[in-house]
Amino acid sequence: MHHTDHQRSAGAVPRNPEHRNPRHTDTFIESESVVSTASPVKTTAVAAQGVWKAYGSGEAQVVALRDVSVEFASGAFTAIMGPSGSGKSTLMHCLAGLDTTDRGTVIIGDSTVTGLGDKALTKLRRDKIGFIFQQFNLLPTLTAEENITLPAAIAGTKADPDWVKRIIHTLDLTDRLSHKPTELSGGQQQRVACARALATRPDVVFADEPTGNLDTRSGTEVLNFLRTSVDDFGQTIVMVTHDPTAAAYADRVVFLADGQIVEDMADPTADSVIDKMKHFEELVAAAQEEAA
Amino acid sequence: MTRLRPQSLLRTTVKGMAARKARLALTGLAVVLGAAFIAAALVLTASIRSTVDDLNGAAYAGVDLLVRPVEPETYGERLVREGVSAETLAAVEASDGVERVSTTVSWMINALDDNGKVVGGFAPTSAVNWGDESTDRELREGRAPETDGEVAVSAKFATDSGLGLGDTVTAYSMTSDKTEYAIVGVYGYPGGRDSLSGGTELAFTTEEAQYLVFDGRDVYSMVAVHAADGTSGAELLDALAPAVGAEAETVTIEDYSAEMSAETAEITGVIGNFLLGFGLVAVFVSVFLIANTFSIVIAGRLKEIAMMRAIGAGRGQIVRSVLAEALILGALAALAGTIVGVAGGAGLTSAVAGRLLDSAQVSVAIPPSAVIAALAVGIGVTVVSALVPALRASKTPPVEAMRAAVKADKPITGVTVTGAVVTAAGAAAMALGLTGSLGDRADLAGVGIGAGLVFVGVTLLTAWLSRPLVAALGALWSWSFAGKLGRRNAARNPRRTAGTAAALMIGVTLVTATATLLTSVKASLTDYFQDNVKAELFVTGPLTAAVSPSFDPAVMDGIREVEGVDHAVEMYYDLADIDGTEQYVNATTDFAGIVGLFGGTVAEGDDGALADDEIAVNAWAAEDLGVGMGDTVTATFSRGTEAREFTVAAILDDNENTDGWYVAATYTDEFYTTKPTMALIDVADGGDVAAVTAAVDGLLANEPEVSVQNHEDFVAEMTVFYDFAIIAIQLLLGLAMVVAVIGVVNTLVLSVLERTRELGMLRAIGMTRGQTTRMVTVESVTIALFGAILGIAVGVALGWAIQSALVETGIEVFAVPTALIAGYLGAAVLVGLLAAIAPAVRASKVDILAAIAYE
Ligand SMILES: Nc1ncnc2c1ncn2[C@@H]1O[C@H](COP(=O)(O)OP(=O)(O)OP(=O)(O)O)[C@@H](O)[C@H]1O
Ligand SMILES: [Mg+2]
Repeated sequence: MHHTDHQRSAGAVPRNPEHRNPRHTDTFIESESVVSTASPVKTTAVAAQGVWKAYGSGEAQVVALRDVSVEFASGAFTAIMGPSGSGKSTLMHCLAGLDTTDRGTVIIGDSTVTGLGDKALTKLRRDKIGFIFQQFNLLPTLTAEENITLPAAIAGTKADPDWVKRIIHTLDLTDRLSHKPTELSGGQQQRVACARALATRPDVVFADEPTGNLDTRSGTEVLNFLRTSVDDFGQTIVMVTHDPTAAAYADRVVFLADGQIVEDMADPTADSVIDKMKHFEELVAAAQEEAA
Repeated sequence: MTRLRPQSLLRTTVKGMAARKARLALTGLAVVLGAAFIAAALVLTASIRSTVDDLNGAAYAGVDLLVRPVEPETYGERLVREGVSAETLAAVEASDGVERVSTTVSWMINALDDNGKVVGGFAPTSAVNWGDESTDRELREGRAPETDGEVAVSAKFATDSGLGLGDTVTAYSMTSDKTEYAIVGVYGYPGGRDSLSGGTELAFTTEEAQYLVFDGRDVYSMVAVHAADGTSGAELLDALAPAVGAEAETVTIEDYSAEMSAETAEITGVIGNFLLGFGLVAVFVSVFLIANTFSIVIAGRLKEIAMMRAIGAGRGQIVRSVLAEALILGALAALAGTIVGVAGGAGLTSAVAGRLLDSAQVSVAIPPSAVIAALAVGIGVTVVSALVPALRASKTPPVEAMRAAVKADKPITGVTVTGAVVTAAGAAAMALGLTGSLGDRADLAGVGIGAGLVFVGVTLLTAWLSRPLVAALGALWSWSFAGKLGRRNAARNPRRTAGTAAALMIGVTLVTATATLLTSVKASLTDYFQDNVKAELFVTGPLTAAVSPSFDPAVMDGIREVEGVDHAVEMYYDLADIDGTEQYVNATTDFAGIVGLFGGTVAEGDDGALADDEIAVNAWAAEDLGVGMGDTVTATFSRGTEAREFTVAAILDDNENTDGWYVAATYTDEFYTTKPTMALIDVADGGDVAAVTAAVDGLLANEPEVSVQNHEDFVAEMTVFYDFAIIAIQLLLGLAMVVAVIGVVNTLVLSVLERTRELGMLRAIGMTRGQTTRMVTVESVTIALFGAILGIAVGVALGWAIQSALVETGIEVFAVPTALIAGYLGAAVLVGLLAAIAPAVRASKVDILAAIAYE
């Protein structure tokens, strides 16, 4: 039962190579072979170098990230997976300039995030990063359209209308634009959130369990769009997820356990991810040994 | 089904309250204010009364009875003081049971300060006799007056006049000429007081006091009787009856003391009522504040309430748990308010006693009614205000606990319909009243009741009105995106915005309505003068002066010589007895001039100079007395000893400015004020009014009582009371502002809490701290402005309605107090800004990670 479910979902994934941008196919192949090594032809959108993050102090201290180094290539769709409490959200927050690191450096595009003040961080998030959260993504007082152009409005600029129109069209939101979030279904709300994340053409979009609250159908719609935005628009996406089916949409899956990267898998399928998760305990043990 | 025990509910309530301390404290503050004002008002009134009683007791120690002249019925005759005659005094002194008597001569006079100006404004200057054994005056310097040319002055007079021991003071009365006296002593009163009730006093020898007060007659203002041992005041009262006769009356010291307290109570009553009014407004406003806070708190606890319902709590228990919270809050706030109010009332008594009675000794009385009223109102208003939210909470279905958090706001249709009906009813009543369909008295009542209904109706309509108005206000902030968001937040929950804005709206409505009405009154008077009075300048003195201001008619010659003066005429005034009725009589050397300058016209007869035995009269007055041209009337003037006969020589057209009777200036010696009380000056066309004013001012250098005024000054003088009223009413605005700030802070803090996730999301996607602060500030200012604008609109409308209803009484002009209204808008912005500080800081410091973390 469990198994067939995954197979059906996996079957829905548009892995048709025709949909892929050739350039990104290159990227894909390269990232498949070597992790963390930038090729001279492709650029790195986001990089973390030796990042440490701990919460609390003394006895109660929890080390959420231990010496994490990872790079995310431009125009690639990366999933971050790992058991609950493994540090996925923490990593994402540190990468996105929402949280500070204790040690190590985070770089987005050509700017170093680490050490920036609140003003600069805010500006960075506004101009270079798109966010999709699990829920509560939208402002209830604004219409769908206004929510989509919210980051531009905050910046006091105007979003490129052609671009926004194209995203809205792709997301099939055209006749929902004047609706308030309360008048939209959960899936529609998440689609609006996706559109908002992409509207400013950010360097990278971070999504923390964007389908966590959605039913399978709505989740598939959102994942399809994320895939499309990578393939057709060359968007860089980093997505945290628990769902192997969702991870299968990505070009690459990074596994976290106990605050460390324990596995880096290219061209995942639902089955390969599930398989990896089955052997996870061993991976974690190996990683811990290595750390010790 | 298990039922929760009430005790456990109460415990939950108290725990819940402890967690919301700050919020509840803010809400309670409004109740504290209301209760405090009520308690203070009642404490003040009672304390002043007991203070006055104490002071009187001290001043009349050992006195059992007072003999005083019978007050004549009519105003005109009373102008010349009556007294207890020397014969009566002797008869009383000789009566059985009387141990001894002491006499008082006392009435108001004018005395000049070191600059030659009349001393004193509202508090009068009195002349008294030092008496043989003054117990209630204590010499501080020098000695008592011994000859007619000497005077001892009260310490307050010395301070106010700048004169002291060894100086000379000029004093005069209605009946005496200016006389110089040598100051031989300065005195105070028991208890170290500088004055008795804020007034100033000059003590002369008895003869000199009688010269000033009674025109030299050997009579007394009052005789204090000390009963012999073994004789009670009551016994003596009857025993003295034959000696006192009909010309005087006897009162016991207790009755007299009660009269005095009643007189003071009239003044303090005004202050007390004012405070009471403040208290009631604060209480009224708190209703919205409390209802709002409880609604918001309950909205945040809906899941908890639904859960409690699901595990078996009954509806009644939910209502009781909310009401218990209200009761505890109300009790704490009312108690605090009562304590603050009692303390404030006591403090205020000291201040009032200090100013009004010049007494440092205060006896504070805390009547049980003050405590009971403040507590009852405070607790009652809190519980009643929480009732609606409590009932609404109890209707929460248990399934609500399982439902998603986001819900559409409840419709506001019910309140809106009620509001519309009440407003319509009020408007109808006002319309009926204004069109005069209800009949004389009912018309005014209709307008009044209608105004009240409209007020309440619009208050209920606030939620409905908030949508369009807040949207319109949004135009102000459309340039800023943060502003737009703030405006939308303000429009988000009409019920909440309305409840918050209502606090300011109520205050602003009352203040605007009053200010509009009073401004209209002033404008009407000013217009009336502009349109009807030809004279540009007036020579006149303050209407509040104790002794009617007057001046030497000789200055008129000088005024007529001033370049640019076309015409100048002086006027004498008396309240005389004409054919047995009390009538206003003007005397003038230039009848035609007076009529012309006042804009009057002669209907019958001619406006030539009046002969000694001729009289002119306004048509109304002639009709009143049933006299016509050529008829004879008899007139006795205030000081006149015989009746004079006059023939009606002219009848004036009806005109308020030329009301009354006119005679030649032949008998002005028999007038109450024997000198002219007013002059009218007509500046020639093209003449330099400012230059004439300056020249006349110079000529009046030796006339301390009067000054030259233009129309504006003159109207300002007449309407000085309204100015005080307008200022006093603005204090109400201050109170409304304080409560409004509390209300807005309360709402915003709660809204910010509710929107933590949203704020976190906004900050995550790039909203700066500054933008967040601006967003909250705009929401705050929008709510405040909304309240103020609504208040101004309703206030102006109500002011207009009342003005319209009073057109017949002469308030013909409708004037909007634009400067004040601009001030109210400024005040609203200030309220918004102040209230935004804490919530905005809180919003800008939202922890993004905590906010976007899923529970
Ligand atoms: N604010 C915080 N204070 C203390 N500890 C924290 C805080 N945030 C995260 N942690 C801890 O850090 C570790 C990593 O947390 P994180 O939220 O990154 O995990 P996650 O992989 O996202 O888990 P999940 O899949 O449940 O979302 C956990 O042990 C967590 O308890
Ligand atoms: Mg997480």
